Amino acid sequence: MEKSWLSKVLPNDEYKEKRILYFIAESAVILAILLLIFALINNYSLYGNSTTGTTALLSLGFLIAYPLIRHTLSGIGYTEVTNEKRYHKEIKAIFNRSLTTLVLILITHTLMAGIPSNVTEIFDLIGPAFFISLVVFMISYISLKKSFKKNRELLDD
Amino acid sequence: MRNRIKIARVEKSLTQAQLAKKVNVTRQTIGLIEKGEYNPTLRLCISIAKALDKTLDDLYWEE
Repeated sequence: MEKSWLSKVLPNDEYKEKRILYFIAESAVILAILLLIFALINNYSLYGNSTTGTTALLSLGFLIAYPLIRHTLSGIGYTEVTNEKRYHKEIKAIFNRSLTTLVLILITHTLMAGIPSNVTEIFDLIGPAFFISLVVFMISYISLKKSFKKNRELLDD
Repeated sequence: MRNRIKIARVEKSLTQAQLAKKVNVTRQTIGLIEKGEYNPTLRLCISIAKALDKTLDDLYWEE
């Protein structure tokens, strides 16, 4: 198996390596929970203006984004996609999922903040919603593309 | 996973530490494998089998 850069600082003994990897992963999860609690206490809400709270949220964002990006690029997201037909079917599913995300964000925001009353408010609503949906689409699409390539390389015929 | 590593090791007059050194792991890992508390990778299974002059069947196959 292809190893990570982290394996350079891990023990050669496979049992110790596995245990230490679990310890590091556990610490990351605990750290994420503590950062979230810290950020909530500091800001009272996620949209507060405390600098330390924002730093905590950025750190939390990194903790979530790093494994997500590694997962996306590693090609392990869509292990069963081995032919063109299934590939295109999954693209459609990803597109529909992104569209659902966009609609859900728009509905949730409208329910919480009310119907936008002017053009600026409409753009303030649609802009971030569109951006989030685009990110969801891109992450899934890249993951699918990487997985498809990896799966094709591993086919036995 | 149950195995016959301990019997094969004793037959070959090796200590846990000596076997561990041969297959490049710690004595503790050999102890855990012998007790069935850690499932080694196939790579390590093969290394242990070679070090003890046994086949994988001899060491790991359950009758």
